[in-house]
Formats: sequence, C-alpha cells, structure tokens
Amino acid sequence: MSGQAIAPAAASEAAPTGGGGGTARRARRSSRRAADRRLGYALVAPAVILLLAITGFPLVYNLWNSFHYVNLSYANVPQHFVGLSNYTRMFTSSSWLASLERTLAFTAVSAVFDTAVALGLALMLHRRFPGRGLLRAAILIPWAVPTVVSAMLWQTMFDPRAGFVDYFLGIVHPSWGSLTWAGASVLRSWVVVFIADAWKNVPFVAIILLAGLQVIPTEVYEAAKIDGATAWQSFRRMTLPLLKPAIMVALVFRTLQAFFVFDVIYIMTGGGPGTSTETLSFLNYQTFITNTDFGYGGAMSIVLIVMALVIAGVYVRVLRPEL
Amino acid sequence: MAASALVGLVAAACGSSSASPKSISGKAKQTIVFAESGLGTEGAQTAKAIKGFEKANPNIKVSIDVLSPNSTTYLSQLEHDFISGSSTPDVFESDVTYPAKFAQAGWVKALTSFHPNMGQFFSHEVAAGTYHGTTYAIPWFDNPEGLFYRTDLIKTPPKTPNQLVADAKAAMKADPHLKEGLAFEGAKYEGAITAFLTVDSAFGGKLNPSNINTAGNKAALSFLYDSIYKYHIAPTAVTGWQEGQVEQEFVSGYTPFAIDYPFVESLATSAPVKGHVGYIPFPAAPGGTPGSALGGEMLAINAKSAHAAAAWKLISYLTSPSVEVARAEATGDPPSLPSAYTSALYAKAPYFKAVKTLNSYSAPRPVSPNYLQISSDLQNMISAVYANSISPASAIAKAAPTVRSDASATPSS
Repeated sequence: MSGQAIAPAAASEAAPTGGGGGTARRARRSSRRAADRRLGYALVAPAVILLLAITGFPLVYNLWNSFHYVNLSYANVPQHFVGLSNYTRMFTSSSWLASLERTLAFTAVSAVFDTAVALGLALMLHRRFPGRGLLRAAILIPWAVPTVVSAMLWQTMFDPRAGFVDYFLGIVHPSWGSLTWAGASVLRSWVVVFIADAWKNVPFVAIILLAGLQVIPTEVYEAAKIDGATAWQSFRRMTLPLLKPAIMVALVFRTLQAFFVFDVIYIMTGGGPGTSTETLSFLNYQTFITNTDFGYGGAMSIVLIVMALVIAGVYVRVLRPEL
Repeated sequence: MAASALVGLVAAACGSSSASPKSISGKAKQTIVFAESGLGTEGAQTAKAIKGFEKANPNIKVSIDVLSPNSTTYLSQLEHDFISGSSTPDVFESDVTYPAKFAQAGWVKALTSFHPNMGQFFSHEVAAGTYHGTTYAIPWFDNPEGLFYRTDLIKTPPKTPNQLVADAKAAMKADPHLKEGLAFEGAKYEGAITAFLTVDSAFGGKLNPSNINTAGNKAALSFLYDSIYKYHIAPTAVTGWQEGQVEQEFVSGYTPFAIDYPFVESLATSAPVKGHVGYIPFPAAPGGTPGSALGGEMLAINAKSAHAAAAWKLISYLTSPSVEVARAEATGDPPSLPSAYTSALYAKAPYFKAVKTLNSYSAPRPVSPNYLQISSDLQNMISAVYANSISPASAIAKAAPTVRSDASATPSS
C-alpha cells in the first residue's frame, strides 16, 4: 500500500535537476517517503498488535510453560523451571506415541481420499449442465456448517434408532438395519469420524480445485481434441499437470486440517472406544482442560505446531516451482 | 481445541490480576452470582427459590448464571472462571466429584467458619464434599442411581443378577414391543462409570483407586459385557447411550429394565409405562450388597468471592428442608436431607420412598483431587470392553496400574 503511494511521487521527480533546488527537492522527497512509511506502519499496527495479542502472546507463553511445571490443580505448588522434562515425558509416553500414529494415519488417508473425491467433484462442477450455479453454491453448505454441528448431525444420522444410515442399510440387507457405529467398534468409530470429517471438508478442497480448473485455457483442450486425444488422455496429460499447483495448495490445507482434527472426534467418539480414536489434538485438549497441566500441555502444543510447520515446509519445498 | 487452549492460557495469564476477597458489611446492598446448570423445570424451580431468598434477604440480589447442561462443558466453564482468578460466580452448583479437585486447586472456600450442620445431610454425600477433613461443599440434592423395572412385565423384582437376566429374556420373549431386556449408560462419559458402579457393589466390587483389579470389579464388568455379548439382553447401541437415551428407551416401553437416575420416574407419565414403574437397587449376587451409585449436586463458594457471607446465606436457604422439598416435588431432584423424606412428600411423590432406600446403598466414586484423570482411565477401560476390544478381566488388569498412578500423582511425581 505504501509502495503504491510512493510510486507516482517518485516518477514525477525523476526529471533531471540541478543546483540547490535539487537538494531541496531530494530532502522533500525523503521526508515524504518517511511520512509514507510512518503512515504505512500506523495503518498496519492495529492488525499486527491484534495478531500478536491473540497469536504471538499465547505462543510465547505456551513455550515458556513447556519448560516449566505449571499445573493449576495444585494451588500450593509454585511454577518452576523443569528444563526439557515435559518434552522427554511426552516423547516417552506410550499414549502420546499411539496418538501420533493415529493422527498421521488419519491425516494421510484423509488428505489423499478427500482430495481425490474433491477432484471428481470439481471436474463435475466444471462441466456445463443445467443448475450448475445452484449446485456450486449448495456444495459449500457443509463447509459453512460449524464442525460441531456437522458432527452432531452425523452422530444422529448414524444412530441405530433414529438415524437414516441404518434404515437404508436395512433395506439393502436386513441384518445391516441395526448396526451400531460410533463406540461399538474401533473400525466403525473411525468410519463415522472419517465420513463426517470428509463431508465437512471435501467441498472446500473441491472449490480450490474448481478455481484451478477455471484458469486452464480452453484452447489447450481444443487443440488436444483436434489432435485426436481421448477424454482420459486430456485429463491425464493436460488437466492433471496444469492443475498440479491447485492440487498442491488443496493438499496443504487438507493435510493441516486433518492433522489438527479434534471437534469431530470430541463429539462423535470422545476418543473411544478406549483410546482408539484419540488424536494428538484430543490428547492435548485433555491435558490442558481435564488435567489442567499447562506445562505438559504446552510442550504438546509446541510440538504440534513444529510438526505442522514441518509438514507445510515439506510441501512448500517440494512444490516451490509450481507455487 | 486450539481455541480452548488459548482461552485457558489467556485466562491463566490474567490470573495474577484477580480481585482479592473483601469483607462487605452484612447490611450493605450486594449482588451475588450463582452459577448453575439447570434448564427446564430445574431452572424454573431455582429461579423461584431465588425469588424467595431475595424476599427473605432484601439486601442481597442474586444473579443466576446458567451454564451448560453438559457436565463436561459445565466443568470447563467453571474452570475458566477459577483459572482466571475471577471472583464470580460467588456460589456455584458442583457435581459430587468436583469438590476435592477444586479444594486442592484452591478454588473453593473452606466452609468451616460458617459452622455448617453436616449431620443433617446424607453422610455419603457429605464425604464427597470433604477434603482432608474440611468441608468445601454442601449437599444440595442426592441422586442415587439404580435399577428401573416395569412392574407390569416383571411381577416380582429380581433378587439376583441371574434372575434379572432370566426375567429380561422372558419379558423379551413375551412382549414383541420390547427392543431389549436391559438398558444402561455405555457411552464413553461419566455416566458409564456410575452405571458400572451401580452394578459393582452387587458383585462385591469397590472402586478403590489403589487397586481396582479385584474379583468383584471383574465380575461386575463381566456381567455388563455379557449382557451385550453373551445374554444378548442389551444391544450394542448402549455404547452410545447416556442417561437421556436410557430414559427414552424405558419411558418409550422398549425395555423392561434400565439402570438410570431417579429423574426417569417423573418422566414416565404415559403409556405403556405410566403406573408401572419400580425402582430398586441392583440385585445382589452372592457375596455382594444391593447396588446403587451416588450421584448428586452440591453447592460451594468461590474462594475469591467478595460476598462469601451472602453466598453462605444462599446455600443455607437452598438446602433448607422446605426449599428442598419444594424442589423435589417440582423437579424430582431427591433432597439431600433425610429429614425431608416425610409422609407428606411420599403422598405427593411415592417414588421418593424407593429413592430413600437406594440412598442407603449408594456407593460413592473415589473422592480424589485427581478424580478427573481417574474418570478418564475408567471411561477408557469400560468403553473398550463394551466395544469388545478387550476382555473385562484384561481391561481391568491393564487399567489398574494407570488408575493407581493417576490417583496418587502429586506435583513432585
């Protein structure tokens, strides 16, 4: 913004000058630039201060906590420095390691599956058909619904008494008409979590991919058609390569969303049966809220953030040419 | 999650700027904040009682802060207030499992200085509000969990768990409208522990955190597991049921037996269950005693309240016999005062006779400042068994050291 303000002034004063008048003009120009800079800083300051307050401060405070004993359940125990013990406790904790495995597995499956489904959806929405505009708008509804609400909706839909899922399964096969989902088995619990999570997030990925499809020039397809390329060949040799940047952006978003999965698990399974659907974020929540252990919880949060940064960094490094 | 953590962090960071308790003259006009979770008839009855209190104490105005009806969210909301060092709520409703934790954290005020007459309450609930010999919470109402049964389908209440199974099977065979023989809370939440505890003492079990790996506990958990997978009297759907769903199964006439709280009785107002409700302790197996689990709500004062004296006045008022009886009649919340169980109350709500019987059997959950961690361990154990991921005996053996460790965890460990 400040750059745009400076440019015309700089252009108008680009003409050759000489003598004392030139020095005065240079001084005025320098003063104006400084004023512009100050204005720029003043304009972005509120946003920066707000960001520092709601993001920077908790982050730093969390980092400080992670090196201290901070358990709010003990009124008479002062906070004290414990070095890396919160971190070593975490890295040797079987429950944290098991949650890490689950989180990574869920992230990998969700990112790949959801992106694949979203690609199909985006290709469909890219074609011309009656009601396309309406469908494009409608597809965003699941994304606009808060996760807690969508998780509760799916919980109701999978309810063996009141849900429609078992009703329709029962039509297909009578013995499927009274299946219990969340909580009844590890596999079924993950299935409902996965479906509810995908329902919520696939539309967002699809919209990113649709935007990517729309910037591919139609001439490319026309040329391929003239050359006799089949639909599959067009998709394989042109759509996919040209869509790669959009796919990668979608993958980054989806991977990080899945990595931090919490709400849908909190609502649908409570981390159960046993601890079988506990993810890193769920465990982190329990440590903060149930155990009020802000030192250990802080260490977990810091490691979560570092892992997310690593994931994002890997994507950026791999995709730099396209991005 | 991140939002919750942020709220907690910011709240903790602001803690140092908390208000310190001030003494306010008893004659000064003051407003106290009362946090509670009551909705519907419970909320309306609380509001009615507060009006009566304000009339009797014109210098005190009570602002009611209705928090979430979900116990987990309710606890989080309270914790956020305490962690931030807020002086409100001045007085709050507390589950029987909270006082020890709150006392250890320094969030609740010791009530010794008010010289409460604890002898007037049911002793097991008094114990729940006592930590290291000091009273921190006063029993408000007492909720013993037990076994509901349909008196029209089960002519004689079962005397043993085996008889319960036989009766349930016979009822299911005789009445095609029944969808199961036994309903209980099996979802992964606190209620799964109270349902288990209701059955536990009937098999001679006890939830002693230092060793839960006992024959009684194994037999109780095995019974509930078998009711799903061996006797087939309970559906796998119990793995998603909380007390509300269990109540729905019972009042809808889908089950002849249900393990639940007394409130179910007041909701059984239509066919086919109307007038056909029995409420008993869970029948004892050889070596056990009739089973019931202690639930209930207490009242406590924020350690940083600037209006502790006024808050205590409110607690005294809400736990007085006439107010407790009025609440019992309006909402079905069983009084915490044995003296409130009178023939007058029975005349209006006969089922309180059964509630009082259950009170004499109700087993408390461990009174520990680390109860929330213990509860989490127990919920993991129970939900894994109900999902058939692990056998009851193995689950208890696996959970026992974790429960012991969490129960004995101290800041230095």
